[in-house]
Amino acid sequence: MFKVRMADAKFLKDMISAISILIDEATFDLTSDGIKLRAMDPSRVAMVDFEWQKTVFDEYVCGEAMKMCVNISEMMKLLRRTGKDESVELSLDEKTGRLKIAIKGKYTRTFNMPTLEAIEEEVPTPKVTFNVRAKTTTEGLREAIEDASLVSDHVRIEADNEKMVMQATGDIMGATIELKKGSDALLDIEAKEASKATFSLSYLSEIVKAAVATSDIATLEFSTDMPIKLDFKQPKEGKLTFYLAPRIEVE
Amino acid sequence: MGVNLGDLVPKTKVDLKSLSGKSIAIDAYNALYQFLAIIRQPDGTPLKDSTGKITSHLSGLLYRTANLVEIGIKVVYVFDGVPPALKEAEIKRRAKVKEEALVKYERALQEGKIEEARTYAQMTSRLKDYMAEDSKRLLTQMGVPWVQAPSEGEAQAAHMTGKGDTNYCASQDYDSLLFGAPTLVRNVTISGRRKLPRKPVYVEVIPETVELDHVLKELEITREQLVDIGILVGTDFNPEGVKGIGPKTALKLVKKYGSLEELLPTLKEVEFPVETKRIREIFLNPKVTDNYKLTWKDPDIDGVVDFLCRERDFSEERVRKALNKMAEGLRKAKGKVTLETFFH
Repeated sequence: MFKVRMADAKFLKDMISAISILIDEATFDLTSDGIKLRAMDPSRVAMVDFEWQKTVFDEYVCGEAMKMCVNISEMMKLLRRTGKDESVELSLDEKTGRLKIAIKGKYTRTFNMPTLEAIEEEVPTPKVTFNVRAKTTTEGLREAIEDASLVSDHVRIEADNEKMVMQATGDIMGATIELKKGSDALLDIEAKEASKATFSLSYLSEIVKAAVATSDIATLEFSTDMPIKLDFKQPKEGKLTFYLAPRIEVE
Repeated sequence: MGVNLGDLVPKTKVDLKSLSGKSIAIDAYNALYQFLAIIRQPDGTPLKDSTGKITSHLSGLLYRTANLVEIGIKVVYVFDGVPPALKEAEIKRRAKVKEEALVKYERALQEGKIEEARTYAQMTSRLKDYMAEDSKRLLTQMGVPWVQAPSEGEAQAAHMTGKGDTNYCASQDYDSLLFGAPTLVRNVTISGRRKLPRKPVYVEVIPETVELDHVLKELEITREQLVDIGILVGTDFNPEGVKGIGPKTALKLVKKYGSLEELLPTLKEVEFPVETKRIREIFLNPKVTDNYKLTWKDPDIDGVVDFLCRERDFSEERVRKALNKMAEGLRKAKGKVTLETFFH
């Protein structure tokens, strides 16, 4: 049995939206402790690692541990219908395999959607030693990435103990974005050694744009030519972390 | 034709994008036949240049390959060499089907039955020598490697994938598995929509992968037994198979008796055009070569334009657009790394 309720539907909508930018079909691990999901996007360049403890919900019942797979863009269509001050209830009918989504507020509507065959593939964590750890405001990070996106489709991120610099070079234009330690955007930075790596801006901006609704503070960890880990601090007991593979520049 | 194991084999639907960064050995003749069959005008006339030479295969090869490269897939085409002598019966059978289809095509055209004419026209597709030569020339100009197999293309592709030089074999047939291909991907050389044969209905075609190990484990058989099942159902070397035995019955029989030798005496009036041992030998020890080199280069855009647009009357605008997209994909693929690289 799986049945949960959340007083603020927006909370669920924003999280599902953040997950939906990378994957089409989401397989959630449901246990008595909470829900989890870890998946890579189809081209295996990025990964999302999501977890919500049961305390995030206002009501949480999960009998046996199980997997639940849904088409996440279809689910998003339904959740987009939630308005201000509305609550949402999810319940899985194990007999029919359908997920019920009840949105309650001004009036009550109950949608139901099919669940899919769960993907059994276990996604490991990338093994990376991070040399840089930067704490930013999610909004500041979003702005910086938006700046870089104006001129190019990829960005080189360089960091030392004082600052983080984003360098974007396009066919016609270029951009340098400097975030200094202690500024409104870059709250803190530590670098065991100066590092730089290049990433696809389409992935970065999608990730950050989606995560900004769920989180105020982001922690970036990376090393030279290694994947970047973007952890978006959650207001309640949970985590939303993305990994993005670097682009290796070749001449 | 190929062996029909469709119902037995467990498949996994995949997103084409998930093959990005992977290399696939495409059964060239299998792909070219598809292009020749599908890329036609509504009444079934193939695409032709102003001198009357067919160009359907070049059109398919250009646009489909450009598409795959754009996604970041490294493609290699493997061309058939000399068919094994045992294939004669199948080759004769195919020729007969084509002759009959040609008669029906012309009759349908005369009667003004366009839909029907198209169906029969597709069945008349013939791959002439000049088409294979054209295709190799185009691939070279596109910077895409191709390999000349000594005999069956699928056997060569299976060999290359077995050695780890390519990640997947690509073919619509399951013969690759009988040849020992560890991984097979289907539905990569056709576009997302495909017309059902003899019906005005379109279905969504989604790529699917098949793993030999998984197939054998699921069916609880060995590769030798899989080949035996193929022989019972019918292969290119004994197209008739055994009358009344489909894939499911074949599996049951092979599992019950262990091998063809034990099983055949229990069946009544079974005839094979050739000794079953020799058919099995072709699948288990096919003629292949290690004499190939896989290198991917940037497309020679002007070269392709000269060939396709000046000689074969293709639209220059469309050809350039496809090649530019392909070049862009190559550029991106060069810098692209997947997360999997960092799992170990």
